Amino acid sequence: MQLTHVLELYPDHSVTQMLFKEVKNAAELRQKAVEGKIYAALINPTMLVNPLQVLVAANKAVHLQKIGKMKTRSLYSEIIFNLSPTNNISEAFKRFGISDGDDSVMVVLVHNKQESKLLSDITALVDGRQVQVEDVSSLSDPAKIKKLYKVTPQEEKSSTLLDAVVCRMATKDVM
Amino acid sequence: MSVRCICVVMQLAARGQCVKTAEEANRTEPEVNTAKDSSMALPEFLGKAELLKQGAEARVYRAQFLGKPTIVKERFKKQYRHPVLDEKLTHRRTVQEVRSILRCRRAGISAPVVYFVDYTSHCIFLEEITGSATVRDHITSAQQPDSCPDPQLERLAQRVGQILAKMHDEDVIHGDLTTSNMLLRLSPEDGESDLVLIDFGLSYISALPEDKGVDLYVLEKAFLSTHPNTEALFEKLLKSYAASSKKSSAVIKKLDEVRLRGRKRSMVG
Amino acid sequence: MTVVIGFEGSANKIGIGIIRDGEVLSNPRRTYITPPGQGFLPSDTARHHRAIILTVLKEALEQAGLKPADIDCVAYTKGPGMGAPLVTVALVARTVAQLWGKPLLGVNHCIGHIEMGRLITKANNPTVLYVSGGNTQVIAYSERRYRIFGETIDIAVGNCLDRFARVIKISNDPSPGYNIEQMAKKGSQYVELPYTVKGMDVSFSGILSYIEEAANKMLSSGQCTAEDLCFSLQETVFSMLVEITERAMAHCGSQEVLIVGGVGCNLRLQEMMGVMCKERGAKLFATDERFCIDNGAMIAQAGWEMFRSGQVTELEDSWITQRYRTDEVEVTWRN
Repeated sequence: MQLTHVLELYPDHSVTQMLFKEVKNAAELRQKAVEGKIYAALINPTMLVNPLQVLVAANKAVHLQKIGKMKTRSLYSEIIFNLSPTNNISEAFKRFGISDGDDSVMVVLVHNKQESKLLSDITALVDGRQVQVEDVSSLSDPAKIKKLYKVTPQEEKSSTLLDAVVCRMATKDVM
Repeated sequence: MSVRCICVVMQLAARGQCVKTAEEANRTEPEVNTAKDSSMALPEFLGKAELLKQGAEARVYRAQFLGKPTIVKERFKKQYRHPVLDEKLTHRRTVQEVRSILRCRRAGISAPVVYFVDYTSHCIFLEEITGSATVRDHITSAQQPDSCPDPQLERLAQRVGQILAKMHDEDVIHGDLTTSNMLLRLSPEDGESDLVLIDFGLSYISALPEDKGVDLYVLEKAFLSTHPNTEALFEKLLKSYAASSKKSSAVIKKLDEVRLRGRKRSMVG
Repeated sequence: MTVVIGFEGSANKIGIGIIRDGEVLSNPRRTYITPPGQGFLPSDTARHHRAIILTVLKEALEQAGLKPADIDCVAYTKGPGMGAPLVTVALVARTVAQLWGKPLLGVNHCIGHIEMGRLITKANNPTVLYVSGGNTQVIAYSERRYRIFGETIDIAVGNCLDRFARVIKISNDPSPGYNIEQMAKKGSQYVELPYTVKGMDVSFSGILSYIEEAANKMLSSGQCTAEDLCFSLQETVFSMLVEITERAMAHCGSQEVLIVGGVGCNLRLQEMMGVMCKERGAKLFATDERFCIDNGAMIAQAGWEMFRSGQVTELEDSWITQRYRTDEVEVTWRN
């Protein structure tokens, strides 16, 4: 159901993605996160093309945290920031973070290998139905994503949307 | 919590949802931020990866990264260079490489996807282009011994000319154009194979016809020295370039100048 | 046994050397040195060479203990180089060849450097970095040609160094390059300068115009010393040369480097190239100032190779040329 990937560069760290549909308490979740009671990144899944997008953001976040060069205050806000094609932090949260009226949520955690309790703790907080993470592609809004990431028509022809998105995420620091 | 603390938390809350107090952050975020930890990560990873080649500039590895077959390009320190020069040059080239790739992709030119860049160790993590052959191998194996014109090769030359025109119109100078740096990726459908440009290690952005001319000159020298008796084929490439680029006449003029420059320069000493 | 006399005067050095089957019997030379801040002009250089050439010729024969009858062939620099000095020397070579009744051989100056380097160092098939006041090329032998893999797209590295020396009025005695090298040893602060490598080629006009403009400002503001500038300039231009040499080596799969030409005397350049070679497991070959700097014996050596492979230059073909590409010559003496 969920997807866990061990970061090759930082093998003590695993990234787990959990996707929930029919979420009824998005506002409560967001509030809890604001209060610091949820140790995860809560992401708007309509902005996601594929779980790889999250892994790219998470890998970069962990790396920057390790070298003390994060742009935001915490690992989880850094993951959200890394999803964005721009360097504007508040815009990143607005677009990629969840809003009160959302009915789906992608929950992302970074943890050490044996932390199943952490995962079940989070699952318990979400009032919704957990689904396969791969299902995120059914929730994606390609038009919105293309517009935000400024994917050009030529690029669409020669590449996939995922590739276009990931490439921009990885290179935005120098563009 | 102090008043100042509350203000900070509220500011962060206004920005997004992942807010914690410092104590809570320390308690639960799974990080051990020691210098040793962070500087060993990449060398350890590369130690287990497969070294594909060691060029003059960089080592190229193959590995799995985020579940994808990945090429890692590590620009290592050159011991003969002054350390300040080395760092500046290496950083600059890493940045230029990454910028050039994105510019090309935006223009619809196939180039490897960048997954991650580590600016401390100057490593670029790139999509591995699988199921491909270099244009170099293609030409070498397809070349007729009697140098008869080969329509397949001519079509290839035409496509290369087109793609380079597109690249130069984006003001991307590849800097190391050779037939080894162009891949033909077999497409899943039965269409024409995808022409992919790789190794943007010496690339940079420039609008100058002079730089584009030199870019073509570098390719010409590499092309003719690697593939003997292909002058006619290269001419086809240039013709295709000239026809496809909006700014080609100035570039071709500069190419001619650079070709002559080697012959006309007064050499003393 | 084949004895060849070689005449060299394409720039400000006039040298005449005699080689007998790979042995340097004599190699006298004179250098035309101009005051600090000045370069050497063709007509003045030719005048200098005219005044001294017969003396040098006499020295060459006496030091070798030979008479004109002992010579088998007269080689001279056909080009490339400065017009007037080349003509001066060619004239004497032609005259002497006719007087002595010996065949004439017009030699490419760059190939003279390469063949001398090969003789002295016994390098087998090296990637050659040829660097002087007038040339900057990376050369590798392939199929009867010394092919140019990389070169400067504007001025030679030696020219860049010489002109920088003029800007800050460094002495030209014994050579501006030598004095820059000595000053660089005392420099410590690295000043960032433009670095231009384009593919296998290099460009020095950018760094020269930058430093011509900025040098005096930097010195008078006390930002750095002249020694720091010398140091930084060397580190930068030599890094560029090592880089293109390495790229050519990687391309050719070569494990040997030979540095020839006047700038090749520079020990810092040799040191840097040595570090690069060591990292690759390659071998570095270099000669000392007797053979790095333009000299007559190198022309004699190239002439020896050419003569033995059956080449001769007829009188009507014995003109000189200011532009003469290294890859124009058919290297008939190698496989």
